[in-house]
Amino acid sequence: MDFASNVQLLIGGLAMGSIYALVALGFVLIYNAVGVVNFAQGDFAMFPTYIAITFALPSVVLFGALVHWQLPIIAVYAVALLLTVLLGVLFNRIAYYPLRDRGWMPVVISTIGVSIFLRNLAQLVWGSQPLVFPSLFPMQSIEAGPLHLRPQDLLILAVAAVLIAFQYYLFERTTLGKQMRATAQDRTTARLIGIRVDRVVTITFIYSALLGAIAGLLVAPIFTVTKEMGGLIALKAFAASVVGGFGSIQGAIIGGLVIGIAEALGAFYISPAYSDAIAFVILIGVLLLRPQGLFGERVSEKA
Amino acid sequence: MRRRAFVGTASATAAVAAAGFPNIVLGKGEPIRLGVIPPLTGGNALNGEEGHDGAEFAVRTINARAGKVYDDRPFELVVEDATSDNQTAVAAMNKLLTENVDAIALPVLSTQIQAMEPLVKPTGTPWLTGGTNVKNTLLGCESLFRFRASDGLTAAGLVNFAVGELKKSKIAIMTSSEVFGVGGGDQCELALKKLNMQAVSRQSWPVGAKDFTPEMLKIKQAGADAVIVYVQNPSDSALIFAALHQNDLKIPLIGSPGLGDANAIATAGPNANGNYAAIDYIPSAATQAFSVAFEQVYHRKPEVGSGEGWVYSAVLFLADVYRKIGTTDKGKTVAAIHATKDYHAMMGTYTCDADGNMLHELGIAQIENGAVKLVKTVKG
Repeated sequence: MDFASNVQLLIGGLAMGSIYALVALGFVLIYNAVGVVNFAQGDFAMFPTYIAITFALPSVVLFGALVHWQLPIIAVYAVALLLTVLLGVLFNRIAYYPLRDRGWMPVVISTIGVSIFLRNLAQLVWGSQPLVFPSLFPMQSIEAGPLHLRPQDLLILAVAAVLIAFQYYLFERTTLGKQMRATAQDRTTARLIGIRVDRVVTITFIYSALLGAIAGLLVAPIFTVTKEMGGLIALKAFAASVVGGFGSIQGAIIGGLVIGIAEALGAFYISPAYSDAIAFVILIGVLLLRPQGLFGERVSEKA
Repeated sequence: MRRRAFVGTASATAAVAAAGFPNIVLGKGEPIRLGVIPPLTGGNALNGEEGHDGAEFAVRTINARAGKVYDDRPFELVVEDATSDNQTAVAAMNKLLTENVDAIALPVLSTQIQAMEPLVKPTGTPWLTGGTNVKNTLLGCESLFRFRASDGLTAAGLVNFAVGELKKSKIAIMTSSEVFGVGGGDQCELALKKLNMQAVSRQSWPVGAKDFTPEMLKIKQAGADAVIVYVQNPSDSALIFAALHQNDLKIPLIGSPGLGDANAIATAGPNANGNYAAIDYIPSAATQAFSVAFEQVYHRKPEVGSGEGWVYSAVLFLADVYRKIGTTDKGKTVAAIHATKDYHAMMGTYTCDADGNMLHELGIAQIENGAVKLVKTVKG
């Protein structure tokens, strides 16, 4: 196959990998903060997207009634992200906080409950019809020499790059980031040195929810908005965080990109029918050869 | 005088009673219980919602008529959620059958129909289904009827249109990897074989695929001049349209009804233009009127072919059968449906064949500016 086609596959893979990476970061941040896997992480990609589309379209059916709440697109994103902050706080206060001293299992079950609740709530409010999210760009591809690129893929790559840079800045250069890292490393010691651990954990929940929401808003124009849209992304993102080393921020990012690229190339060179399987073959391979993941050991000791 | 009047009245009452009047009084106005069993929750909730709303709208239409179904008897919906897994679907059908339903409408998912069939068969309950897998009507259930074109008819229609009308000779096949897609793809291969041809490439994608670039590049490499797509999910259709453009493939897509889904076309925008899709109905003033009336009530456009329309049309047909035979007796109803010939329904003409297939025609439409336009009618 020619070079241009390979580059095209690579860009598509990187774009999807970036989405997996953003959702995987959400997994890792919550895992580091409270030691549990948040099974509702994919639904944080879905639910805020539904909120956004309610204000993005000229009319939407809510509880069977037609509403006309369209706002300018910037306001749509602002409302969706603000409500995601609220969602993150509620998730923390209802699903995690009351159970925080009862071990990891009740909290994990609670996150599964939140996932089911959010999906059913979305169906109740918006129904089952897929909704079409308006794109900021035309859906036609951009021609760049021999390449035909999807504008939304380029946007995903750009936003993901900015968020990853922000992530680095937050954790390495800000007091809040250092508090988050300290809390992740040892909550008791963090509390002893004066860090308000509960507040930091709440902020971590909000930040994770926002990462999920941004991932959902980025993919929404190329998929239709459905209550299942977060499910498969979350599954791949979970695999990405394990491949990268569960608990490792760098690992989540690299794991997401590895899975995205492997899926795209594997779909072409092996078979598209096995593209899902490819992600999990990589997962099994990493677990067999390096059970702690690609970055597991080094970072888990550090953060 | 008063005594004579009483005797006269009593005699008249007795005569009417002997003629069976009390039975007529009991039947008159009594609801006819129509069971509907759509997957209302889980991954197939979209199919379920469309099916449910189609049946509900039909019942609403019929019950608003003078005389309702017949003898002032209205339809009463009895709803059970088939969910999206077969095990629960079977349990839901079990429950529905204990609720004294006179007939059943839905589901549309072939795997669910095949799982439920052993339960329905012994009861002889008239069953109006929409699953298109060829096997559904070959299971031996006398009371199972299909109100959409089978995959065999659709696949042959798509292949014959690509070869005969568009003069394409290097056909690629692209399908989803679940039962619907694989079954449809197999039927397309059979149809090509009948023309002494074979697909230059066959690709399938996993459920939830988000990038169709690999499939398109493989099809490009195979030198295909048309792609027949068997797709169900509107998100997949929209991504396939986009991938066709993105990879600069200047060849037409000719797809199953899912490719012409309104949501898919809306998502794809101009990328969908110029491509073709099968539609499970022949557009007419009746389908147009249905769309308008439905949208007024549900605030969304219906999927006339594969969504709400076929159920609506099937339930209206069932009401006509009841009106004609004047009873809800299951055996008589099944026999009357089997005897159907050239019945002009909203979706097209119903004629029941030996296997219970009612619809033997479909349309091939071209997508233009966000809408589908009929270009050919295919008869089975």
